[in-house]
Amino acid sequence: MTDVATSAVLESATRPTRMLVIATLLCSYPGIDATGQAHMEYPPNTYVIPTPDPVMFPESFYLYCFERGVDAILIASCGTDSPYKGSFDQLAKQIDRTYALMRARDIDIRRLKLTAICSVCTKAFIKEIADMEKVLDDLGPIGPIGPVGPAADDPAAEVAA
Amino acid sequence: MSTAVPQANDYDVLVVGGGIAGLQTALDLADRGRKVLIVEKEPSIGGKMIALSKVFPTMDCASCITTPRMSSAAHHDNVDIWVYSEVDQLQPSDGGGFDATITRKATYVDEDVCIGCRLCEYACPVDVPHEFEGNMGVRRAVYIPFGTAIPQNAIINADDCIFCGKCEKVCPTTPTAIDFAQLPRTEQLHFDAAVLATGYQTTPVDAKAEYHGEASNVIGGLDMERLLSPNGPYGRVLRPSDGKIPDRVAYVQCAGSRDETLGVPYCSRVCCMYAIKQAMLLAGALPLADITIYYMDIRAFGKGYEQFYQTARAMGIEFVKAKVARIDEEADGDLKLRIERMEGDGSVDEPLHDLVVLSVGMRPGTDPRSFVGVDLDSDGFIAPADPKLDTTLTRMPGLFATGTAIGPKDIVDSVVEASAAAAKVEGYLAVTTGPRTQRAKPFVSVREMGPDELAAAGVLEEVHHG
Amino acid sequence: MVSQEWPAAEQPDCPEPAGDPGPVTGSDQIDLGASDSNAGPGERLGVYVCHCGGNISDVVDVDHVADVLSREEGVTIARHVAFMCSDEGQQKITEDIKELKLDRVIVAACTPSLHETTFRKAVIRAGMNPYLFLPANIREQVSWAHPHDTKAATDKAVSIVRAAVGKSRLLEPLQAVRVDAVHRILVVGAGVAGLRAALDTAAMGQAVTLIEKSPFLGGRSMMLGTVYPTDEPAVPLVRRLIDEVMADERIEVRTCTRLTALTGFLGDFSVTLTTEPRGVDAALTDAAAAMAACPTIVPDEFQAALTTRKAFYKPHPEAVPELPAIDWANCTRCGECVLAAGAGIEIDGVPEDEVIEVGAVIVATGYDHYEPAEGEYGYKTSERVITLPQLERLLDPEGPTAGKLLIDGTTPRSVAFIHCVGSRQIAGVDEPKPGCELNEYCSRVCCTATLQATNEVRRRLPDTAVYDLYRDIRTYQKEQERYYVQASKLGVRFLRFDEMSRPQVLPADPGDDYPLIVRVTDTLTFGAELEVPADLVVLGVGMEPRDVSDIVDMTKNPVGNDGFLLEVHPKLRPVETAIPGIYLAGASQGPKDITESTSSASAASVKAATVLAKDYVEMEPFVARVDLSRCTGAGTCVEVCQYDGAISMTEVEVEEGVFAAKAYVNPVACVGCGACVAACASEAIDVQGWEMDQYRAMIDALTSSPPEAVAVEVPA
Repeated sequence: MTDVATSAVLESATRPTRMLVIATLLCSYPGIDATGQAHMEYPPNTYVIPTPDPVMFPESFYLYCFERGVDAILIASCGTDSPYKGSFDQLAKQIDRTYALMRARDIDIRRLKLTAICSVCTKAFIKEIADMEKVLDDLGPIGPIGPVGPAADDPAAEVAA
Repeated sequence: MSTAVPQANDYDVLVVGGGIAGLQTALDLADRGRKVLIVEKEPSIGGKMIALSKVFPTMDCASCITTPRMSSAAHHDNVDIWVYSEVDQLQPSDGGGFDATITRKATYVDEDVCIGCRLCEYACPVDVPHEFEGNMGVRRAVYIPFGTAIPQNAIINADDCIFCGKCEKVCPTTPTAIDFAQLPRTEQLHFDAAVLATGYQTTPVDAKAEYHGEASNVIGGLDMERLLSPNGPYGRVLRPSDGKIPDRVAYVQCAGSRDETLGVPYCSRVCCMYAIKQAMLLAGALPLADITIYYMDIRAFGKGYEQFYQTARAMGIEFVKAKVARIDEEADGDLKLRIERMEGDGSVDEPLHDLVVLSVGMRPGTDPRSFVGVDLDSDGFIAPADPKLDTTLTRMPGLFATGTAIGPKDIVDSVVEASAAAAKVEGYLAVTTGPRTQRAKPFVSVREMGPDELAAAGVLEEVHHG
Repeated sequence: MVSQEWPAAEQPDCPEPAGDPGPVTGSDQIDLGASDSNAGPGERLGVYVCHCGGNISDVVDVDHVADVLSREEGVTIARHVAFMCSDEGQQKITEDIKELKLDRVIVAACTPSLHETTFRKAVIRAGMNPYLFLPANIREQVSWAHPHDTKAATDKAVSIVRAAVGKSRLLEPLQAVRVDAVHRILVVGAGVAGLRAALDTAAMGQAVTLIEKSPFLGGRSMMLGTVYPTDEPAVPLVRRLIDEVMADERIEVRTCTRLTALTGFLGDFSVTLTTEPRGVDAALTDAAAAMAACPTIVPDEFQAALTTRKAFYKPHPEAVPELPAIDWANCTRCGECVLAAGAGIEIDGVPEDEVIEVGAVIVATGYDHYEPAEGEYGYKTSERVITLPQLERLLDPEGPTAGKLLIDGTTPRSVAFIHCVGSRQIAGVDEPKPGCELNEYCSRVCCTATLQATNEVRRRLPDTAVYDLYRDIRTYQKEQERYYVQASKLGVRFLRFDEMSRPQVLPADPGDDYPLIVRVTDTLTFGAELEVPADLVVLGVGMEPRDVSDIVDMTKNPVGNDGFLLEVHPKLRPVETAIPGIYLAGASQGPKDITESTSSASAASVKAATVLAKDYVEMEPFVARVDLSRCTGAGTCVEVCQYDGAISMTEVEVEEGVFAAKAYVNPVACVGCGACVAACASEAIDVQGWEMDQYRAMIDALTSSPPEAVAVEVPA
């Protein structure tokens, strides 16, 4: 772990929480924009990063985020409206594998959620954020990542480690 | 008002109407290098489709499909968009092509200065029913048409405005974007070809007196689209009269289609499918509600549509083959339908529903004859010159039509036909003005060609007589 | 071939900067970062924070944001500007790029959907690669979403802009992917859709090769008798298209020809065309003698197999090309025709292959009529049960009975039509044909075509009773409802069977007046079980997908559950397939009538002709790219990729004489979804513009603190 990551983890006990929102360019990103356009407020500890399709992120990426001190990740996909063939099924599998890796590291899997946000789904977005904030209220900032459990033989886990 | 002499070739093609069909035609032409002007009468492009909830049979979110198209057009180097504008006159010009007079209506907001921040909208004290929300929500006198509108510019509706000046005070731009002195601008332009994508309007809910469309819980299909939309007026499905969550919803099919008494003998093509789609969405939103569709024939004819219909049946949506003779409002806002069953025992029943959706049909939108001498069919839609082999040709050379301007059509068929219109425009321009890249000016007009040259060039037959 | 070049029109007009950046000017200037003249790429960043006239600056302390960012490593200039989208704002960017030799530009303003294009164009004007610009969304996603917490909103804006800065350092200039374009389009199938597509693509300046597997053009529409809703005869209608095609010198027509192999990709396909000999050439003078001499008699498909023809044949007098042809599937090569005709016939020819290059392919392979199983509604067990296409031939003046409707030599007294035969089939109610799936779809055209026929029978034979047994009448199109209304006026008697029941066609008891009875539970008359007496039963058969498995294998284009070729998206890209450069026209995609087929053909032609309009095909650069030094050749990317031909394993010479399997991305077929990125255990593949190290840099920025303020007075 680098110094940056270590320091992020060390300050973890008291610092405010951070939520990463991975937003699909076609549906969710405009949906989140629409939420702002409607001046519907949500907590500012939410950081949106755009992607053509969240299917591109390896399991190790989510672990990287947690290691660095991202406390929760909301994946705002297009759901079954994904413009890419087979991508939603693939993504769902990846998230299942990530959950396994998270459990092995003693990370509460509620910190990662896959959802679908359409380009006018402003209320759904607000609700997802609120739900995740509740999880964060409950769990607090993420601590140092726990020891690697049985899933360590997973190739993705090795990349992350 | 500009009285300038029309300039030659400001644009290559005029597209009248910025709905999904007009946008698709414009984009296809622009991708081929043609300079296109879209003239849209509403303050945003997007047409009817942008107001829909989800679309059959894929159940895609409508705005997710429409906004990228709108945005592509808005950002395309070869496309200009004039919203809130109308074509006053479109006349074949002597040198070929068309001379157009277009009025850009006053929005009282300088579109080059407005940044779409909505501060004016928040400051405005006037609330009026919002047309975009089927008059169920409210908007201000100064407003951005809707969340995903393009352009994101405010307009002031002068009929609603009380000229209090609050918008002007809060406008953050320098100079202020608010311009109460703005006048309509009339522009004169020349085009080599024009495409009419003037779309449709729905049959008014009160068109049939027996249906009592004035009752607040009798709504049209497009109104239900807004109720079902994630960003709709109430955010969920409530009936308008008292905000009650409906639990007995009725759909009345062919309300304004296949009805000689309304002068609409034709089938509107989309109402069966949108009713089925809405019923499925309602079944998801209101799991306890009973949903009944009263119909004459279910016309699920497109690709994947029949399967969609069978899914709805399997979900428990009730389909009753019956004529709805009348709808009466009860004291509590519920509605009593008088139905004559067309199957089973043929009985006459009077079921009660608490919300009735009239599956209103399509009528022609803007009448293009108000600005161009195009032929209409007896149904009021634009008459195709060659209905089997070239649906988008009108009888006027260089003038094309597409989408629901020609006749009722769903989105799939409109989009296909919009691209077809682009092909036809290209074929026409290739002969009249040459390919975009090798264009020589002044071009030889078809009118200057002799019959032999026309034949050799493969110009459409109509041109001979044009 | 694929080349990656800077578009000529957008060639940067100034070379890569070097040397001293020179003085910095500008009233909003906050700080000047290190003026290291030897800075590497991504070390001279310009950051612009927009006030948006208060929309951002009323909530976000833009001054603070610019201040913090100015201290970020590599940031040369950080400004805050009233309106970045204004000419003034854009000019700041272009001036700074030129004067400060910026190599990255970050604009923190409104959502990129509004002005990303604006700023891309601005940096292009200053000679910068447009993909070295990055937006940071601090209006829709910061100031408008958190208007009541200016401190938190400002901190969030800082983080978001720092994340963009982190990513931008790792950006690389990208170039549009270009493929040389072959200006020829292959159209497969010469029915109405193929003919229309050929004409329209040719009109847009592309050369066309139109192939038709049969010896004659026009397809199935020629057999229709009259077409709705214009009630015009079909043959002259289709001949209009055929004649235009034959007169168009840009269109090369090849009959007796199939597509047998296809390789390559959009812009440059190699297609193998296999042409069977026609067997007949222009030297033929006595076609009639040859035809008479031919001893081989086969069912005449043009007459819906109601009559027969010879193996040496011409389907009808209006057929194009005019020369007859030999049906090799049935010809015994006996040579009788050669002897009879004397000249112009060659029966020893063999099929010939030719490979040609085309830039795009339009598939217009059409449909088949549903052929009922033996015994289905009495089909083939009774000669009095025929299909609608057969009836259309019997009603056609050019048909086998010259337009007289005769069954067993007599005029039928009663005709029963049954709709939805082979369409809208329901599991448990309908039996699929052996080896087939149920056809769950509606065939779209048969309702109107059936009503057109019921009305025609009533008009011609007013004494003949006509019954119409239907489920739903789907006369949906402009002018179609007229047939339904007319049918009632003409006395066609409608009976409606339920979704879950089907009529039965039964032989009548001996001695009955009529040979057939049709038993139906009629929902229109209280569910009464009625028996309709019939001399003739007509089955309103639907459309079925034609067997195009060879084309499916070649192109890897998927078919839908209904067996028809599948489009990418019914609304966004209705005539495009998942394979770039391959388009669909007509009923190959699903049931369509002539109007709809020609419309989709025109649509396909504009797509195909446009993609080839320039001398090259240009595509967005956001596609996968392989780092060969990391690729272990494991092939997981190929397995996970859903797009055929997008990634493949190829042998690459890694050292002299040493070859290893490495992944190769075909940028034309890749859609840039990134499924391969997640799958690669060696992190050897990335989507350009969306790379994992860039994402990690964003996470690092979001989770770390900004640099400490230095004790320097900063002008406001």
